[in-house]
Amino acid sequence: MAAAAAREMPRNLEEERRRGRFEAVVLPHLDAAYNLARWLTRHDDDAEDVVQTACVRALRFFDGYQGGNARSWLLTIVRNTFYSWVAQHREQELAQPFDEEIHTVEQAGGDPEAELLRRADAELLRQGFATLPVPFREVMVLREIEGLPYKEIAAIAEIPIGTVMSRLARARRHLQAYLIANGAAGVRT
Amino acid sequence: MSPVSICTGTGDERELQLTAYLDGELDLTAILDLERHLEECPRCAELLAAQRAMQQAIGAADLRFRPTLPQARRLRQALGAPQAARGPGGSRGSEWLAWSRHPQLRALAALLLLAIGTAAGWSAGRRWPRAEEASEHRGRAATSATPEAPAITEQVLASHVRAQLAGHPEDVASSDRHTVKPWFAGHLDYSPPVVDLAADGFPLRGGRLEYVGGRPVAALVYQAGNHLVSVLVWPAGPDAAPGSAATASSAAAGSSRRGFQLRHWSQAGMTWWAVSDVAEDRLDELVARLRAQIPPR
Repeated sequence: MAAAAAREMPRNLEEERRRGRFEAVVLPHLDAAYNLARWLTRHDDDAEDVVQTACVRALRFFDGYQGGNARSWLLTIVRNTFYSWVAQHREQELAQPFDEEIHTVEQAGGDPEAELLRRADAELLRQGFATLPVPFREVMVLREIEGLPYKEIAAIAEIPIGTVMSRLARARRHLQAYLIANGAAGVRT
Repeated sequence: MSPVSICTGTGDERELQLTAYLDGELDLTAILDLERHLEECPRCAELLAAQRAMQQAIGAADLRFRPTLPQARRLRQALGAPQAARGPGGSRGSEWLAWSRHPQLRALAALLLLAIGTAAGWSAGRRWPRAEEASEHRGRAATSATPEAPAITEQVLASHVRAQLAGHPEDVASSDRHTVKPWFAGHLDYSPPVVDLAADGFPLRGGRLEYVGGRPVAALVYQAGNHLVSVLVWPAGPDAAPGSAATASSAAAGSSRRGFQLRHWSQAGMTWWAVSDVAEDRLDELVARLRAQIPPR
């Protein structure tokens, strides 16, 4: 019995070391993971579920982690976890069309457009981000909130850099029109 | 409608170029080309002005979602819980029980801090020569680059990460240094210099107590855009460099982690550390502004 315990000991130690390494890699980026999941799911509880599941997956894949950019690695797993989750729970969301209508909204106030945009507050910006379809919302969150370079966004979203750029351009046009339409309305009241 | 579009035909391409320009992702040749174009194309110039204004508004608003305190606790616990305890979809609420039932998992928490620290030691080790350079021209060596140094690095980084994850970066929340400084005076046996950098674009958010190097120390919290910066400060001296067992663990040293920056210097008889996940140049800027305003002892 003692011999069996002795044999088990190194394995436990090894497992503990592995877990220690895992936590050292993942823990510093848990905030970024939550932020991405929260923006994608748009709910606190769902975000927590996605991050938890992502962590379980990350631990499973940890042996394949080559010691590169830990944040990219974790965010890629969070994003993939979100896509499996959304396919199960809210499939229709992925089919959300890009509302091009908003592009035709004309500016209502007399203020220069840049002035109106500069005054957009957090509440309005959040609403604007939330109206973006998922593929556009994710690049905007990674770029504007996480402040990641194109190369890293491309790696996380698994798209070419050119696509990152075109999605950002389109997303910004949409957001700009949304802010003008709704910000201008707010100013009038 | 807007005035006649000068860049019809190349509009899409120009818009992509503007996007990359806004994000600082354009190479020099393309920048020069675009800037020439902007001078003669009011439509593109207008679009740039609008998008730049929007980017500023986004930068000024804090759009980051942070886990609530209970969520942060559950997530951290989930990291340490056995894999079999959860299936996909998670089981909120059960982690706490699972956690408290297993004493060895609590031991893991300690291991975790150690491991974070060791990884941080690696990252700071990389930065170390620079920190020394920075303090050299002040005529003072940085805390001698002894084996203790990485242990402190670990603790400094861990304190920042912990405070941020807990959603509780400050114990006293105030942008008024006349509130923060007396608060520290009531909690520490020294009085840390407290500098507000709001005029430099880094508003003071408050302060908290940390336990680093075997003593309670002051941590000042600054806002840098969407990111937080923790500045830890304590009196320089022999007691500032504790012997620590943490250096013994080098298992995680190879796990490269990016996204966190640390700066370290000595000034006004104090040892200073700045830590954040903000961009490197922003942190350097904050440190430079801070150093310029720290009153001499």
